[in-house]
Amino acid sequence: MANYILRKAEPKDVTDILRLIKELAKFEEMEEQVKLTEKDLLDDGFGDHPFYHCLVAEVPQEQQSPEGYNVIAFAMYYFTYDPWIGKLLYLEDFYVMEDYRGYGIGSKILKLLSEVNLNIAVKTRSSSMHFIVAENNTKSIEFYKRRGAADLSSEEGWRLFAIDKEDLMKMTAK
Amino acid sequence: MEFTIRAANVDDCKDIERMIMELAECEKAIDEVKITKRDLEQDGFSKNPFFHGIIVEVPERHKTKEGHTKVGYALYFFSYSSFKGRAVFMEDLYVMPEFRGKGIGKALMSKVAQLGLAAGCQQLNFTVLDWNKPSLDFYFSQGCTDITAEKGYHYMCCKGEALEHLAQP
Repeated sequence: MANYILRKAEPKDVTDILRLIKELAKFEEMEEQVKLTEKDLLDDGFGDHPFYHCLVAEVPQEQQSPEGYNVIAFAMYYFTYDPWIGKLLYLEDFYVMEDYRGYGIGSKILKLLSEVNLNIAVKTRSSSMHFIVAENNTKSIEFYKRRGAADLSSEEGWRLFAIDKEDLMKMTAK
Repeated sequence: MEFTIRAANVDDCKDIERMIMELAECEKAIDEVKITKRDLEQDGFSKNPFFHGIIVEVPERHKTKEGHTKVGYALYFFSYSSFKGRAVFMEDLYVMPEFRGKGIGKALMSKVAQLGLAAGCQQLNFTVLDWNKPSLDFYFSQGCTDITAEKGYHYMCCKGEALEHLAQP
């Protein structure tokens, strides 16, 4: 299986993007936590000030999945800011459908993302790509570490925190 | 103590830079700060800003011995959760040591929460160093969850040579 193209997602891709988000969530055993809708993805990704960007991998008709899907991988990312070094790229989701793994699609996506990442960094300043991985996802951790990624939680003691909407509202009411 | 919280403007970048360095010093990482006032001006105050800032100011009579009236700040940006949609990430939250214990940190965080909710965000995220007990205690008291501890999520990065290598054909 060699033929695929990597391209920027378009509004028409939101159905496939949501499908792939749910597939990845299922793999992470968190499928019921996906509350996003196609309309959210459309409004938030393709308006004047997008909250996210997406790359998708598409295969030709003859290689589509048994269910008839042509879009078989995606990466969702956005730009963040580190007050010490500047602009960063944050990789929110990165997923290749199981039947399409082992062909270098994931590596190619990462390569494209790294190019985007380096392009936003001014020559004199380094940039960095950040993302999170569940510690029990050993295959993914090895994939990233092989490529030189550092685990900031283990190495530097950074813990990721969250407050959900309910507690945010309580905080603003105080 | 009286204080006001307002959106940062481009003229605040000198004080933001100063306080970024102070926070980095607290985190024992002052050598890692590469950013300049000019970077902050370009990245935070152009047409498509990469971050937003809020500043805490005290009246003249409470200024520090060096003469500073800008005594705290928060830096945040909008992010996206593939599960829930719009989210806000609080990158920095800092109050100068002599102004702590007066509810300023809480007020800053509450402002970020307000701004996030107004923009349709479902969640606020941030990171904390595991040895920073006063901050950890503060955040837990506000109803925050340690995702790293509870779900085993590790924060990873790919930078410098590793990033350049990844971009090679």
